[in-house]
Amino acid sequence: MLKIHDLHVTVGGKAILQGLSLDVPAGEVHALMGPNGSGKSTLAQVLAGREDYEVTAGTIEYLGRDLLALKPEERARAGVFLGFQYPIEIPGVNNAYLLKAALNAQRRANGQEPVDAFEFMRLIRAKMDLMQISKEFLNRSVNVGFSGGEKKRNEILQMLMLEPRLAVLDETDSGLDVDALKIVAAGINSRRGPERSTLLVTHYERLLELVVPDRVHVLVGGRIAKSGDAQLAQELDARGYDWVQNEAVRT
Amino acid sequence: MSTTSLQAHLETQQRMLPAEAASQSWRRDALASFAARGFPTRREERWHYTDLRPLENGQFPLVPRAPSADTRAVARALLEKQGIDLAGERLVFVDGHLDATLSRFGAVRGLEISTPSAAWDSFSPERATAAIPARVYPLALLNTAFLQQGAFVKVGPANDPRTPLQFVFLAVGDERSAPQPRIIVELAEGAQATIVQHFLDAPGAATGWLNLVTEIVQAAASTLTLYRIQEHGPAHLHTSLLNVRLGRDAALTAGYIERGGRLVRNDIDVMLVEAGARADLFGLTLGSGEQHVDNHICVEHAAARTASTAAFRAIADDSARCVFCAKVIVQPGAQKVDARQASDGLLLSPRAEIDSKPELEIYADDIKCAHGATVGELDEGQLFYLRARGMDGAAARAMLTLAFAQVAVDRIALAPVRARAIAELAARLPEARAGEDTW
Repeated sequence: MLKIHDLHVTVGGKAILQGLSLDVPAGEVHALMGPNGSGKSTLAQVLAGREDYEVTAGTIEYLGRDLLALKPEERARAGVFLGFQYPIEIPGVNNAYLLKAALNAQRRANGQEPVDAFEFMRLIRAKMDLMQISKEFLNRSVNVGFSGGEKKRNEILQMLMLEPRLAVLDETDSGLDVDALKIVAAGINSRRGPERSTLLVTHYERLLELVVPDRVHVLVGGRIAKSGDAQLAQELDARGYDWVQNEAVRT
Repeated sequence: MSTTSLQAHLETQQRMLPAEAASQSWRRDALASFAARGFPTRREERWHYTDLRPLENGQFPLVPRAPSADTRAVARALLEKQGIDLAGERLVFVDGHLDATLSRFGAVRGLEISTPSAAWDSFSPERATAAIPARVYPLALLNTAFLQQGAFVKVGPANDPRTPLQFVFLAVGDERSAPQPRIIVELAEGAQATIVQHFLDAPGAATGWLNLVTEIVQAAASTLTLYRIQEHGPAHLHTSLLNVRLGRDAALTAGYIERGGRLVRNDIDVMLVEAGARADLFGLTLGSGEQHVDNHICVEHAAARTASTAAFRAIADDSARCVFCAKVIVQPGAQKVDARQASDGLLLSPRAEIDSKPELEIYADDIKCAHGATVGELDEGQLFYLRARGMDGAAARAMLTLAFAQVAVDRIALAPVRARAIAELAARLPEARAGEDTW
């Protein structure tokens, strides 16, 4: 699904990713962990097409296509979804309108008929129930006046509506209480399937108890320092990141 | 133009007034005052941002000729096609002349409407004109000197505010002119009204100048909502004054939607005369091309426990220039006043300009005053968020521009007027909802 090879990225002249390689096969959930400043969010933004992040070397292949050649909107329509660490507030654009416009932009790009308001409501109802989001929420401006937990649940709701092939969820667990974390985890688990992949970017292990990943990667200093199975996340939780960093230095 | 040539022009115009009108002494006084003072210039602080020379140099005929039958037929078609469909009383002015066949009034309980020719006494300066400080708004003098058309409206407690009173100003004929209409509205104690002013030009209309003065006196506990939809053609010139005096616990809401005109200057002067009065002013300017739109506001808190808000938004594209000046005066002894001003500007082009100038003149100490002004471009973070959800760049920009405007439009409580404002936006931002049905 996603093949990243030797990726180098600079932000404002500063090298952040320095030779990152990562494969996320179809149907798998991978977790990308690492200390603050290791470049996790940079990778998430680069995957979504943020233009002020400069890719100086390396390739990203998504479903056999050169992802870096696509504009952000083309990536979204091709099934790449970024769940934002800090979802943006957009006063004056309501949730229903954004969701419907996003869904129809994707459908048109795939040669499908746009959905009408009735069909849209039918599609969204069950997903809102799963995310425990009330109906009034649809008429509120995107993320304006939302609590931290509501913003993250909204990101997951958008993901569920757009049914992306590849979801990159950037710190979707941060700032959530236990109940909200369970809701978010249920949303992520509900999309697991053979044709869908998920990359969870996080630096806590607690989400990974609820969404058990197939692989865990540790990002240190702009490259993958260690990979393993779900056990690795627990080990990181118990021992911190220093030992991985030290191990990386030794090798 | 020199003082003498202005004087000569005004005298020529004065001779064209009907004999009955020409003999009114208050008219001659106003003319003399205006001639002596002349058009405001940019050297005067209140007029710093707006150059009125196109009005002066245009040497506009100030006594418009009655429209021909053809013109009136075009006006009818224009009104049918583009008018805002509101039930209720309606006064339609075609090139400055009240058109009896297009207008309908006199049937609503609680509204007493008279026109100048029927009731000149109602328009004399002793009545209400004295409330307008000619010193700060000299164009009102010109309006007084040449006013021939307009309406004097008395609103009683029986009036139903759900049925708006509409004033439609159509520019249609191919002859240049500068109508000087005046609307005077008095709301009795406890009376409520909704008023809509709509400005519309026919495609072939001559480049005219409309100089409108609206005077409103609100008695205690009266409520007025006034909306303006200004849709002049791209070359039209427009100046307006809204002068409102509010009594105890009276409330005014005024919303300005400005889309048209080459040179537009709107003055809003509000005096909160007695305790408990409040005024909420808001507006949206959509500037493009070479447009210059200046909204100039002065709210004077003359009594304690009065409140005001002014929230104006402007979107400037191409080489448009949008101006927002708002002054709040709190007089001595006017304690517990709450006054808030906000102006937000969105620049869509590197050649566009937005000027915002808040002013506070405060002579009381126990008050709350706040003002905030923003001018900027579309937010890169918001644009990226929308693109990351699949919207292309043009659609994302249009969606955010629409959202910026929507904040103002959503404050219009009257559905047909709100729909009209939304239609204006849709016409300006075709990408915003392309292929989408609205919510």
